[in-house]
Amino acid sequence: MDRNKILQTIRKNKAQAAPLPKTFSTPEEEPKKLLDRFKEILQQVGGECFDVKGAENLNLFVEEHFPGAKDFRKKETWEKYPPGCGKEELSQLGAVILEAQFGVAENGAVWMDESNFPNRLVPFIAEKLVVCLDSEQICGNMHTAYSRLGNRTNGFGVFVSGPSKTADIEQNLVLGAHGAKEYFVVLF
Amino acid sequence: MTGHAHKAGQFLKNGERASWHDETLWIVRQKRDKMARAVPEWESLREQASQIKQHTLSELDNYLIQFEQQAVKNGVQVHWAANAGGFNEIVSGIIKENNARKVVKSKSMLTEECGLNPFLEKQGVEVTDTDLGERIIQFRDEPPSHIVMPAIHLKKEEISELFHEKLHTEKGNSDPAYLTAAARLHLRQKFLEAEVAITGVNFAVAETGAVVVCTNEGNADMGVHAAPVQIHCVGIEKIIPRMEDLGVFTRLLARSATGQPVTAYTSHYLAPKPGGQMHIVIVDNGRSQHLGKEDYRNALKCIRCGACMNTCPVYRKSGGHSYGSVIPGPIGSILAPHTNSKKYKDLPFASSLCGSCSNVCPVKIDIHDQLYRWRQDLSEKKIVSPGKRATMKVAGKVLSGSRMYDLSGKMARWGIKNLPRMFIYNRLNVWGKGRELPEIPKESFKQWYKKTHQGKGGKNGQE
Ligand code: SF4
Repeated sequence: MDRNKILQTIRKNKAQAAPLPKTFSTPEEEPKKLLDRFKEILQQVGGECFDVKGAENLNLFVEEHFPGAKDFRKKETWEKYPPGCGKEELSQLGAVILEAQFGVAENGAVWMDESNFPNRLVPFIAEKLVVCLDSEQICGNMHTAYSRLGNRTNGFGVFVSGPSKTADIEQNLVLGAHGAKEYFVVLF
Repeated sequence: MTGHAHKAGQFLKNGERASWHDETLWIVRQKRDKMARAVPEWESLREQASQIKQHTLSELDNYLIQFEQQAVKNGVQVHWAANAGGFNEIVSGIIKENNARKVVKSKSMLTEECGLNPFLEKQGVEVTDTDLGERIIQFRDEPPSHIVMPAIHLKKEEISELFHEKLHTEKGNSDPAYLTAAARLHLRQKFLEAEVAITGVNFAVAETGAVVVCTNEGNADMGVHAAPVQIHCVGIEKIIPRMEDLGVFTRLLARSATGQPVTAYTSHYLAPKPGGQMHIVIVDNGRSQHLGKEDYRNALKCIRCGACMNTCPVYRKSGGHSYGSVIPGPIGSILAPHTNSKKYKDLPFASSLCGSCSNVCPVKIDIHDQLYRWRQDLSEKKIVSPGKRATMKVAGKVLSGSRMYDLSGKMARWGIKNLPRMFIYNRLNVWGKGRELPEIPKESFKQWYKKTHQGKGGKNGQE
């Protein structure tokens, strides 16, 4: 009932037809520039960046730097924390390692969706979030990011840019409001 | 008297706080400027955003239907609410069906507008606001004073005192990191206990049925993914046509709001989690009526970034609570009178009409023009308060005739210099309170222009 009432009023009142503007796009810069910008902005948003320069160096690096972190790039970690896993258990996760699909240079964000974690809480409930990202998968801005995503829709997906933060007390920036207190991106 | 000017006066009584408020918001405005300048295509982005919204408002019924179809296809339960009462009933119905008692909520001006919290609390439901600023004002039992920074009117010492009482933090410790850590612990518990999570929505995409929520704290995600039932509340004007349009709006939103390149989390919810329920409640509550008012329609483009508040000299100096409306500041002042023009008759006057709000607005709403229009409409309908009507009447006469205008300018320049203060700072001129007028130039712009451009200006140089 409410539905029809709302739609009818809209039909009566809506604005004159106005065209939908064409897709907004900007020229894409060269990869080296994008990589440098990504690193720079990531630092500005409170993240820390490592560049191990090559997929062959990645595993050794994360094992050494983040010992004990739960590595969700591995099948056994998915089995240990299946979709129905209790939230109490997830809240004990500590540090987690995830793989991101691509990064965005203009804001240091990375895109992840349900194919990157078995449970949607994982990237948020972890105290420390480590994201592995192929350095060739960095686009310039949010226009290229969404054109990359297209209509490929998953039940849930997120752009993450830095650790969780708040400035609600007198505009003082504090990291770790609810989600990850520390945030790292390891480029390979 | 409870009008805006009176309440602003109360706020200004604490001079130290008032200037802190003013300066802090100005810093946020400057951060926004820096970010905007770093994007060369900023102006065309604003234009694009404005046109996307313009188009959407001309096809709103079709986009809402498309959005609903997509969401249903994704396994989402879609509800429609014509007004606040209906909305509250729907949400409480979902909570009851699930025998839930504990609810967490992330920031949503819509639920504030509909009075959802008090409604649910009356039915014995515990609602916890999880955004830190929102939790602070919930503890204090007061409304947000800003749409992005809800507790911007408070000093850390007051929050320390409050947390000492509510969360048993150390007395006198007002370190923001310490207080935030205490809130994190307290709210972590709430997230783990909650049976239902409620969020507002920044954008709803017709093409895919996605609802997008932007936060810095991650509180929307903690709530939504931890609770078995998630409810997203969306005003009809939040629809955008395509996924790619998100590229435009996410680039504008955080830069305009807080001077960040993007929020820490930009979450896209499409389908329920395995074994969970996902509900979307589409709310009208006066918006479809507002849509019919051509002169004011643009205000429905608002993406609630708060930039117009941060830049507004009146907002910065009077505080959000002085407006008495759910949404304060310039945008609040053009929205509120649609809901109750008598109650909010003062708000269109709570502005210097400097136009700064329209200049920063990422969707190019003609805010200051609408403020001016409201003034005319309200005085035509004789709704403005008597003092304002008297001054407006004279002003209207004066401004409409150029001879009168020139003469009155000369008189004013003479008057401000020579008349006793009580003439200017009298009871009719509420804005004279707490304000000093600038020094008055000896000649008007027109006189100056004539002197310096004599003979050069063609039409402009003539009287
Ligand atoms: S009116 Fe414009 S500037 Fe103000 S909150 Fe809305 S979008 Fe932001």
